[in-house]
Amino acid sequence: MCPPRCPRRSILPPRRRHRPPSAAGALDELVGKRIVFVAGKGGTGKTTVAAAIALLAAKTGKQVLGVEVEPKGDLAGALGSSGASFKPALAQANVSVLALHPEESFHEYLNTFFKVPRLARATPLAKVFDFIATAVPGPRDMLVVGKVAFEERRRDDKGRPAWDLIVVDCSASGHVLAQLNAARSMMQLVRGGMIRSQVEWIDQVISDARRTALVLTALPEEMPVVETVELHDQIVKQRGVRVVACVLNRMIRAPVPPASRRLLAQLTTGDAEVRARVPGIGSIGADLELSERLHRTAEAQAQRLRSGIAVPVIEVPLLATRTGLATTRAVASSLTEQTAAVSP
Amino acid sequence: MTAERTPRNHDSLVSRLQELEVIVCCGSGGVGKTTISAALGLALAQRSDRKVLVLTVDPARRLATALGLKDIGTEPVTVPRARLRRAGIEMQGELVAAMLDMKSTFDRMVMRVAPTRRDAERILENRFYQGISDSFIGSHEYMAMEALYELHEAGEYDTLIIDTPPSRNALDFLEAPNRLTDFVGARLLSWLSGPTRFGFRAINLAAAPFLRMADRLLGADVLTEVAEFVADLQKIYGGVQERARDVYKLLRSSRVGFVVVTTLEPSPFGEAEYFCTRLREYRMPLRGVVVNRTWPDSLRNHTALATATALAEDQRLPEWLTERLGHRVQPDALHALAVNWLELHAIAERDARQLSRLARLGDVHAVTIPLFSEETSELEGLARIANLL
Repeated sequence: MCPPRCPRRSILPPRRRHRPPSAAGALDELVGKRIVFVAGKGGTGKTTVAAAIALLAAKTGKQVLGVEVEPKGDLAGALGSSGASFKPALAQANVSVLALHPEESFHEYLNTFFKVPRLARATPLAKVFDFIATAVPGPRDMLVVGKVAFEERRRDDKGRPAWDLIVVDCSASGHVLAQLNAARSMMQLVRGGMIRSQVEWIDQVISDARRTALVLTALPEEMPVVETVELHDQIVKQRGVRVVACVLNRMIRAPVPPASRRLLAQLTTGDAEVRARVPGIGSIGADLELSERLHRTAEAQAQRLRSGIAVPVIEVPLLATRTGLATTRAVASSLTEQTAAVSP
Repeated sequence: MTAERTPRNHDSLVSRLQELEVIVCCGSGGVGKTTISAALGLALAQRSDRKVLVLTVDPARRLATALGLKDIGTEPVTVPRARLRRAGIEMQGELVAAMLDMKSTFDRMVMRVAPTRRDAERILENRFYQGISDSFIGSHEYMAMEALYELHEAGEYDTLIIDTPPSRNALDFLEAPNRLTDFVGARLLSWLSGPTRFGFRAINLAAAPFLRMADRLLGADVLTEVAEFVADLQKIYGGVQERARDVYKLLRSSRVGFVVVTTLEPSPFGEAEYFCTRLREYRMPLRGVVVNRTWPDSLRNHTALATATALAEDQRLPEWLTERLGHRVQPDALHALAVNWLELHAIAERDARQLSRLARLGDVHAVTIPLFSEETSELEGLARIANLL
């Protein structure tokens, strides 16, 4: 559901001014949490960023669970696995993936807390659960955060947490707000009943800034930036989960340094012999000029994003890979580079 | 800038869409769907005397910006001729823009299909209704089609162009009518609500254990309300189903055309391919694919590639150039030129491979729109895209 929007004269309103926080250390903070939600507008690279964070955490030896919220999501694919189901399955060393399924979580929930046996799919009762779990928005959203909180609390047979880190590839922007806020909405809906204390517990997990964090994803384009800033403001206003960083995907690389540019001019206007040695230089120059103009446009949007939100912006360059593990690895190494603490 | 193709040839996308009454632009979020629908509307109104309504779903800001308007509400706004003329655009027809009001469409649908006014009111007042009409999966998608159907029936415009809601998978709306009828129509819900429809107190005994448990879970009030609401929805099932059938029929007719919009980024492109396939399965007429924001062909030029490779790898080149140019040429400076270009080259190569996959979808008319980087006014930029369509 889209929240009401206030009419604005200009499409990009002037934002508060402050010094943009540095990205250094943001990644370490994320990897140190128990739950990380990755949220943003559709097509901004949520899934890849979620997969990259999972890979980076797994590399430090942590047991990671990736949670796919969208029914058509492909977090498993981004981790090099063919698909995910409701049962966590290993996708990479130390990384498992599960696909969240409202009906299944509902059954699991009933079974765990009320000892209600699993119902056959064919019975009318199961369909009634379906109705409640998928049609009535509160409980459905609740099952998303509920399952995540439930996994956070899961312990192995030695009593240790089953997962060190849970990374959630969230629903597209509008809906994620409802999901993050589901526990609170439920508290209003369910005044009595046994579910109340559990709902309160789930809300505590989600809004505990030591345990839980959220990362935004954006693109350096006008609408995605406007919407990311809005989403950021709404999440902050909701005072639920703590926003730690924003990953700005598909940044156009900065133009070549001045020395290269001077050289380019000399090569382009050089004598016949020089031009014969580098015959494609004119074409290269024109392409680099296009890239430079695109960079300027993208940089202006990046600037708007940086001054519009109060969290560090981590830039990931435009990549030539196809989706899947290759892209995830490239994004992971780019995240590492961008967030490495600058040595004094 | 790559050479822009001459517009208005007999084989343009717009010439294939000219006689249609409804054009549905679909594609995943962020590919420029709204801009392309606005450009299609502009092209149609430029090249024919049709009155064209471009519809967008909330938020309408992108459409407003593209058309140089301050704001677009649910009331149709005509793009002023004077403003178009200032941007160098002459129109034969008329270009109108509006935002779809999906909430009121849902309300109207309930009012229309409910047996009595009282039934309609009970549904509209139920606190679950708000949530359902707002965030029920597929209701946005379906409501867009429902609103489109209403407007088509009213017949005020020659052409309706709509960009479908931004959904992760733009297929949702195709399944939306089915899902909506499934949702309202689940027969078993009457099993829950019972023939007397007084909530679950009057219910069949088999449901009792479930209801006791649900009581513990949610509190009794919640379930009673759900049951009552479901009983009311039950009454409108027939009407909704009939309507969905009509909407489907329109979407499959020869008066309608689908245009898939995509970029060559792997994930939206994959969705676009899937979408084309599904449209075929649903027997819905796909009229063309618009591939937006393509990199120039020069990035795949062989001479340029050879030169870039030499700049990056030829170890004698810096020395040779130092002699020829009369000053010290740093290998790093050469290298930076090559690396920046080679990265873009790799992207262009990947995109070209993707583009060639479109052929696998059979005889689909495809138009590519190059990346524009010049800062022009929105309307001028739109006219430029319209020219290519």
